[in-house]
Amino acid sequence: MSYQIISIAGLLYMLAMPGYIVYLLTKNKKIGIVATGVLSAGTLIHIYGFIQRFKEMYSINHSIMRSIPITNLYESLIFFVLCMVAGYLFIEWKYKNKSFGVFVSIIAGITIGLTDVLGVTKEVQPLVPALKSNWLLAHVALSFISYAAFAISFITAILHVIMDTENKKSFKYIFSTSILGFMVFLFISLIFDSLSASNPKSVKIFHTTLGSSSLIISTLSWIALLVTVFLFWKFGDLIKKALHSLKINSQFLEDLTYKGIAFGFPIFTIGGLVFGAIWADQAWGRYWGWDPKETWSLITWFVYAFYLHAKFIRGWKGTKISMIAVIGFLVTIFTYLGVNLFLSGLHSYGSM
Amino acid sequence: MLNKLNEKVWNFFSSVDLAVALFIIISSGAAIGTIIPQSIEPEPIIKFFSKFMSISSAHKVYEIISLFDLNNVYHSWWFIFLLFMFALNLIVCSIDRLPSLLKSFKTSPKPYPMQILENMPVKKTLKINDDKILDKIKEIFQNRGFSTHIFETQEGLQIHAKKWTKTRLAVYLTHLSILIILAGALIGSFFGFRGSMNIVEGTGLNFVISDDGKAIPLDFEVRCEKFEAEYYENSSMPKAYRSYIKIIENGKPVMENIVIEVNQPFTYKGITFYQASYGFQPTEHAEFRFTYFDKTGKEFNINAHFEEKFKIPQTSVTASVTDFSPALGVDEEGKLFNMTSDMINPAVLVTFEENGKKTQQWILKRIPETWQTPYGTLRFNELWGAQFTGLQVRKDPGVPLIYIGSILMCIGLFICLFLRPVNYFVVISKNQINFYCPTSKGIVERQIDEIIKKLKGEQL
Repeated sequence: MSYQIISIAGLLYMLAMPGYIVYLLTKNKKIGIVATGVLSAGTLIHIYGFIQRFKEMYSINHSIMRSIPITNLYESLIFFVLCMVAGYLFIEWKYKNKSFGVFVSIIAGITIGLTDVLGVTKEVQPLVPALKSNWLLAHVALSFISYAAFAISFITAILHVIMDTENKKSFKYIFSTSILGFMVFLFISLIFDSLSASNPKSVKIFHTTLGSSSLIISTLSWIALLVTVFLFWKFGDLIKKALHSLKINSQFLEDLTYKGIAFGFPIFTIGGLVFGAIWADQAWGRYWGWDPKETWSLITWFVYAFYLHAKFIRGWKGTKISMIAVIGFLVTIFTYLGVNLFLSGLHSYGSM
Repeated sequence: MLNKLNEKVWNFFSSVDLAVALFIIISSGAAIGTIIPQSIEPEPIIKFFSKFMSISSAHKVYEIISLFDLNNVYHSWWFIFLLFMFALNLIVCSIDRLPSLLKSFKTSPKPYPMQILENMPVKKTLKINDDKILDKIKEIFQNRGFSTHIFETQEGLQIHAKKWTKTRLAVYLTHLSILIILAGALIGSFFGFRGSMNIVEGTGLNFVISDDGKAIPLDFEVRCEKFEAEYYENSSMPKAYRSYIKIIENGKPVMENIVIEVNQPFTYKGITFYQASYGFQPTEHAEFRFTYFDKTGKEFNINAHFEEKFKIPQTSVTASVTDFSPALGVDEEGKLFNMTSDMINPAVLVTFEENGKKTQQWILKRIPETWQTPYGTLRFNELWGAQFTGLQVRKDPGVPLIYIGSILMCIGLFICLFLRPVNYFVVISKNQINFYCPTSKGIVERQIDEIIKKLKGEQL
């Protein structure tokens, strides 16, 4: 089955992370090549799994346009990871720079871990009538490509903020290091959650850590979370040093953040908002209806529009503008997952 | 005095700060609307808040919410006002900046003082001694699609190489497209309507119930000839559902055999009909439709109402439908029951009567084995006239504007972000060439490096 192949890819993504960490610490080129190799192998297996899943879908739906596996939460998460990792590998090759591979593999690992923990169905499902449209490919695929671009700009932005903030007590620094610390904690917790699960459908997020039924474990987990966040706050300058020693300057990170957004924003506008509106017009009889997904897409659009205006018209530079990119991606995550998990609406195919 | 006030108002509306403030306020307002239930009725809102507080405080919260229209954010006066401010801000910003941009295209370029050039973020120097250097540089830039201007200054020759300068206009195209979309939305809300109609199979309606509960008459009748839902095998998940529609105007059918499906709407006289839902609603005119096959394989179509007796052809047997189930299931005790009211697996209980002797048999539409009766094969086709089709109805003359605006926005954004203007400044003095660029974006530096390489290469 395709999801087993994709799980192997996910495992390779997670394995790439320690490789990238060792590379950052030792600057050993061979280890860097190994880390990239593991990540690339994961990507190739992932593409193979994607094609297999396409075939499985095709055998049910008999339509090429409607068999792209992006029709439910699991498939969309998987597609998002594929876009992000492929995009990262392209950047790594183009700029000869492996500096943020760690964080890409962490986000990839978290996302794949989420598919285990949220108990989303991984089976190939037939399409509900509402999704039987050729707009499916254009709207959903482009939306997720833009999310992946925003994810990459988020990583570079957060590194940029940590690198360029001198004062450890400033809000920007505390905020960014806390997010990084939380991401790492979530990554590790998800590994435990998935490994300890007896029945993959009943796993709950944080059930082995923060939400554990044992008071001791849950208290220890909270302490571990705080310690992780504290360590990132305290030793954030190590990241700075590591990046400096790789001859990464903050301007490079700032430019890359801009490029991610300059690429993602028009694609999000066209694929997410415009194609979404056209499809909604054909399927639901209105192009815009303030459905939670639509509303949050508009908010995401506003945040990135704000980024572009601040950059080009107000001339904002440095960590100030990168903070907008960080917030932009947090809003994007809410648009993508939060709306489906916490709010109800017409985009319920994406829920569990 | 008045002029000063005018200027203040103008500056207020032309500022990017206002745009940014509106981004933030509109976003927050819209976000509130996704959290607080959007309902005109108080119950859902009070129920929502009573999860977090006591009932009496939930009632108080509801009063505050309805005061600020937070239960109807997207149609509230303040939200519409914010969108209006947003449009005004866009218009004033454009009027404020566009003329000076247009003017800059027309005025002939002037050489820059060295001080400005030296302050640019990108500067590269090449030591070179070549008489034909000017022609070479010009050629390289022209091959790359740049237009060049050359000035003689005290420091030497100053070359301005520009590409895609006019793409700065694309920002205004993007802004215009937002205004077009807002105008389309405005037209739609004034001259259009949205509503729904539930039409039972075999009947017609000539009015729409609008979303706020009013009946809107149509000058034609929409008749549902047949509705069908297909389900995925062994599941209650619908595969497809469609309505067969007929339009009747002045008593005469004007259009027939129209099929409306999800994602396949139908438009007549500017009014669009969308397949939205369906449901079970038995009516008096509902009809059980069977096909009977005799021993030679000859087919007979039989239609009968509930409990209406019909003859089994070429026999003395009479039969009638005495029970019906839209989705027949068997419970743990072996009893039959309805699983849902959707017609997933319609079944009829047929009572046969031969010489006063009665026998009963369940016939299930989707299970051919049950069609075999002691009196021949009786296939149950459908229960016609017991389902209604739920259609969304919309008239929106603003839609063409929305489409035009969307296309313009896509074009504008792509030009804005992918074809940014590129400016280079080159100063050729004795023995040395300096490259300057006002923006540093990585690509620019590499391009200069390439140009330098080319210059050196030709020299070698």
